[in-house]
Amino acid sequence: MKKFLIMLLAAMMTFSLAACGGGSSGGGESSGGGEASGEPVELDVIICEYGPNTQNWFLGTGMDGSNFVDKFHEANPDVKLNLEVVSWNDVYTVVDTRIANNQAPDILNIDVFANYANDGLLMPVKDYCPEDLYNDFFPQFIEQSVIDGTVWAVPDLASARAMFYNVDMLKEVGVEPPKTWAELKEVSQKIKEHYNGEVYPWGIDMTTDEGQAAFAYYTWGNGGGFVDADGKWAVNSAENTEAIEFALGMINEGLTNPNPATETRYDLQDMFAAGKMAMLIAPNQLPTYVADKGGTINMATAGIPAAEGKTGSSVGVMDRVMAFKDDSAPDQAARNEAIGKFLKFFYDPENYVGWVSMEGFLPAVNSAVEALVASDESFSAWLDVLNTCQFYPTAMAEWDQVKQGVIKVEQDALAGGSVQEGLDALQAELTK
Amino acid sequence: MNRTKWEPYVWLLPSILLVSIFVVFPIFIVFKLSFSEISKSGVVGDFIGFQNYVDAVHLPAFGIVMKNTFFWVISVVGISTILGFVIALVLNQKFRGRKIARSILILPWATSLVIQASVWNYIIKYEYGNLNNILLNLGIIKQAINWRSSYQIEFIWACAVGIFVTVPFVTFCILSGLQSIDPALYEAATVDGAGFWSKLKNVTVPLVKPALTVSTVLNIIYVFNSFPIIYTMTKGAPANKTDTMITYLYMLSFYERKKGPASALSVIGFLILCVCASIYMFGVMRKEESV
Repeated sequence: MKKFLIMLLAAMMTFSLAACGGGSSGGGESSGGGEASGEPVELDVIICEYGPNTQNWFLGTGMDGSNFVDKFHEANPDVKLNLEVVSWNDVYTVVDTRIANNQAPDILNIDVFANYANDGLLMPVKDYCPEDLYNDFFPQFIEQSVIDGTVWAVPDLASARAMFYNVDMLKEVGVEPPKTWAELKEVSQKIKEHYNGEVYPWGIDMTTDEGQAAFAYYTWGNGGGFVDADGKWAVNSAENTEAIEFALGMINEGLTNPNPATETRYDLQDMFAAGKMAMLIAPNQLPTYVADKGGTINMATAGIPAAEGKTGSSVGVMDRVMAFKDDSAPDQAARNEAIGKFLKFFYDPENYVGWVSMEGFLPAVNSAVEALVASDESFSAWLDVLNTCQFYPTAMAEWDQVKQGVIKVEQDALAGGSVQEGLDALQAELTK
Repeated sequence: MNRTKWEPYVWLLPSILLVSIFVVFPIFIVFKLSFSEISKSGVVGDFIGFQNYVDAVHLPAFGIVMKNTFFWVISVVGISTILGFVIALVLNQKFRGRKIARSILILPWATSLVIQASVWNYIIKYEYGNLNNILLNLGIIKQAINWRSSYQIEFIWACAVGIFVTVPFVTFCILSGLQSIDPALYEAATVDGAGFWSKLKNVTVPLVKPALTVSTVLNIIYVFNSFPIIYTMTKGAPANKTDTMITYLYMLSFYERKKGPASALSVIGFLILCVCASIYMFGVMRKEESV
């Protein structure tokens, strides 16, 4: 009898394990389009974690004691959101794994879109985005998500970069914020001498995370860039080589943070907040970041320094929202409508303004501008910057390769390699 | 029907199921992926033979990554085994505070690797690093030292952290082996006039060998597959010069989006590990049999 009981227990354990293993198989199936039976349309949504409050705003109590999902369900009982907030570190792994397992989300918030569009995974925006909302987006943002004349994603927010400087330090040294590279070098040398090497005059981030931004800052400021006038890859232009060599010169002369290959933007911002760095290029959220760190730096902004006779360009960074196809959804029209409802609710100024200002970014829709400018005057100046800035060519299929490629060239040059040879090799790889 | 014949299999079934789901099945998937065309967003396409393997070995960073992996495994496993052995010998002696010493030793092993690596990142930081602060306060140095002045040094730091977190595991493996040695053998050796080195060579080492084998084989596998230390400390920078195979294939897959070659590298790594572990196991077992 005892043996029989033990066997029974083992069999139960086995079955329960098998059940655990098989239980999830249904979860990955299409969730959209359950309305045929009168049930709400289910949408799997992935949102990136922009800051410590993102999770709380979407799923906790960060929206006036409630959250985005609950409020959405109240307003749209015919749609059910399965919303997940994923950190930036994990989102690519999560999304790629889901795609490989045929479990792509219905709605995804991320920075890149070209790979998904080129694999035929995305729906054109026109299929689901209500027209009045579509017309509300800044046109220059929408243009960044076009491949072969089709818009594949809508912007969710943006940030612009500018040079920030420690006003008190520059005043003490007796210098003006630099406008050109020559001035940047001169001012940096004076700061270095004045503070006896205790303060880093200039910040450079050539890390695996954001080294492409450094490439953009210097090459755009020298009339170069990732692409030529025809929009074709031109990473090995003479202007680009000269620009990167200028940045390397600043590092080699000891005018920057000591380890640009491993010191991220956040490390630089920490140094700036601690009064250890005089100038750096940073996004518009820097004042909030410094305040959160307890820093009391008297800071101001200026244009990004450029080569003599060249115009500096601010760097715009934009993230997106996109919708994936789901051929298994029984009612495609209802699914598209549900996605449209999600977007309408998200971009409703009543919700969107609170979210953008909470995250400290710049808006992507006209209807939010008025309220944001009213709440913070600095928004107005940043919106002007945003209108004139350049964006990464993320609509081009090879962008991931170029992004990692230029970072490797920079890092290789930091370890003694040749910039020109590295860029030539990258260009050859892109055009073969 | 004889119940005992099938009974063991029923007991084994849950483990077999778990291993199949979480080990065998993923290995099968990676093998399949390594022979398939995979798009940048992860869509699996047609069978393309060994093309991913050809692409993987022709990657510019392949050589340095293999060299780093070799250095990483040999240095971390080798040095931590020597240190672990010495510490285990000390902890096997009777002395006051032995229990406390043993408890302290387990801490680096019990703490998450990401936290360990992040803490070491702060310790060796140039600006506010604890190491520089302590040395400056003690007056040993006059100016802060850049402990990460070149990628070779950064890689050595990563290896040092690897050794630091691996030593406790080796120590406890060997300590368990030491404690199973009959004290009568040492007494007999002493009576025969054996000194410390003679006892170590002729009694301790031969008898602790099974524990040493287990710890070395497991360590080779753990260290080879270790991801958090290098990823947290350097992310392979500059330009993959501090990457090992495991961090490189992650960067290849999720940063460069070359998922096909990344899968091929995973399989290459798996085969290397199988070969290393087998050679070591067979070698040691043959010696043990011949003893």
